[in-house]
Amino acid sequence: MNQRPITRRDFLKVAAAAPLAGVAIPAVHGPTPLPADKARVVLVRDPGPLGAKGAPPAEVVQRMLDDAVLALLGGTDIARAWKDLIRPDDIVGIKTNAWGSLPTTAEVEQAIKRRVLDAGVGEDRISIDDRGVLRNPVFQKATALVNARPMRAHDWAGVGSLLKNYIMFTPQPSAWHGDTCADLAKIWDLPIVKGKTRLNVLVMFTPLFHSAGPHQFLKEYTWEYKGLIVSRDPVAADATGLRIIQAKRKEYFGDDRALPKTPHHIQLADTRHHLGTSDPARIELIKLGWTEGVLI
Amino acid sequence: MRRAVVLAAALATIGAFFLMCTSEIPESRRLASYIPVTVGPWLSEADQVFDAETIFGYIDGAGEVYRSYNMRLLVARRFHKDGRPDIVVDAFDMGAPGDAYGVFTHDLEGEDAAIGQGSVYKAGLLSFWKDRYFLSVYAEEETPETRAAVLELGRLIAGAIPGRGALPGLLGLLPDGGLERGPIRYFHTHPILNYHLFVADENILLLGRETNAVLAEYGGRGARSHLLIVSYEDAGAAARAEGSFSRAYMPDAAGKGTVRTENGKWTASRVFGRHVAVVFDAASAEEASGRLGTVERRLKKENP
Repeated sequence: MNQRPITRRDFLKVAAAAPLAGVAIPAVHGPTPLPADKARVVLVRDPGPLGAKGAPPAEVVQRMLDDAVLALLGGTDIARAWKDLIRPDDIVGIKTNAWGSLPTTAEVEQAIKRRVLDAGVGEDRISIDDRGVLRNPVFQKATALVNARPMRAHDWAGVGSLLKNYIMFTPQPSAWHGDTCADLAKIWDLPIVKGKTRLNVLVMFTPLFHSAGPHQFLKEYTWEYKGLIVSRDPVAADATGLRIIQAKRKEYFGDDRALPKTPHHIQLADTRHHLGTSDPARIELIKLGWTEGVLI
Repeated sequence: MRRAVVLAAALATIGAFFLMCTSEIPESRRLASYIPVTVGPWLSEADQVFDAETIFGYIDGAGEVYRSYNMRLLVARRFHKDGRPDIVVDAFDMGAPGDAYGVFTHDLEGEDAAIGQGSVYKAGLLSFWKDRYFLSVYAEEETPETRAAVLELGRLIAGAIPGRGALPGLLGLLPDGGLERGPIRYFHTHPILNYHLFVADENILLLGRETNAVLAEYGGRGARSHLLIVSYEDAGAAARAEGSFSRAYMPDAAGKGTVRTENGKWTASRVFGRHVAVVFDAASAEEASGRLGTVERRLKKENP
């Protein structure tokens, strides 16, 4: 294996030298059979073809999500599993991502909504939104959130992540751009979201591993990975998605090319803000389904 | 849909403007006038105009890149044709040729398209600069037809921009020997430096909007080194920055300004008046000091 020599600059990456923090999983209902000190992440993939808008068929997405949730929480009854996540009296915001070139997809949004309905929540107390969350009455009163978005290379944050998906809960998102979005995890302490996130779904159907131009999107830099990453811990899910993005970059570019911006907000969410776990050694990764080209 | 597109194109033709995100900015008319109304079968839709505050509504956090180059104005014009991928022209008025050149150097991947004063094309995306303008012409999907249309739009826009801009003077300080063609970056701020060459999470070189910097790559694969030259407001600011860099990056240099780092290569820094020059990862101390010596001679020649 060709090892890159350690440079002086490697020592000056603040996140790399910081001590690991304890796992802090958002509050949940019901049992969470996690191994001690580990965050559980489920990666599920399906080899079937994608539709025109980049998602598998709705029934395949539903099955992928269900398999992942059961693996995450244990058990064989998907409705029971969701009742461990969501109470019938919850008001539920499904925080999606509407970025035109690579959205969360309607298939993922509807698969989540269906299971929230199955958990006993009335339709009038569920909303799916992205840029309008601050004006959305359901999100304003939400007692539970489900966070779902694709991972993509990002010209300022390094990657668009689950952590970053909550930037729309702030009245001035650009105020969080300092040090290339280092402290996005602090958003998760804001009253509108704090302690409410029950599940994180990182969409990896056609991830964007490199960005170019003002719109940051070239189809050339996407590939059909056909996966979902599901976790209670947004940091662990993001850290896992990032490993896949980095592995793809290595495969594509033929070297250990770093992302143009260091996506240090993920590691700092762990080491500075103690929101979750970013260290792969402290993540229990369960892989389901298609294994070809899994990369990690 | 088609009627709306045709109407928008007609309005654009007679100079009408829909300013969707900010109040009218006179310069936007000039910038918009450089962009054709149609290209092949594609017709333009209504323009959108953004400034440094409203750009996030258009390209979210990536707007920081353009803000870091002091962008003044962005005119975005979308070209639509039913059944074909859309094409988007983003025309940035950067306020000064140096910043148009600088933001162009931010992403140099692609083939030279020989458009404007510097251009690259890759997979449906054309970027070029001319005078104080930076242009991105982007096809939502690359096909032979969109490629031809993107390049045609680029040529038409470049042809319509009357002036030419001067390159930043800092480029003249770069030693020629070993300098690869292409990977020269011009910028102002610390995140952009780290974009091209990660130095440190902290802003140890005290870069900011008021500093100008050039980063050049020397040598080939496996023998790659970098030369960074930064111009500060005055000699005092340069001395403070070099001191900050030395303390954080090469405390083991013991004030000599040169150190062998963990990868066996050499880093050296010097202050020359209001300039700081740093060589990263030279193969030898002599190579590092030789490159810095050339910078010093060029500066003396410039300011005897």
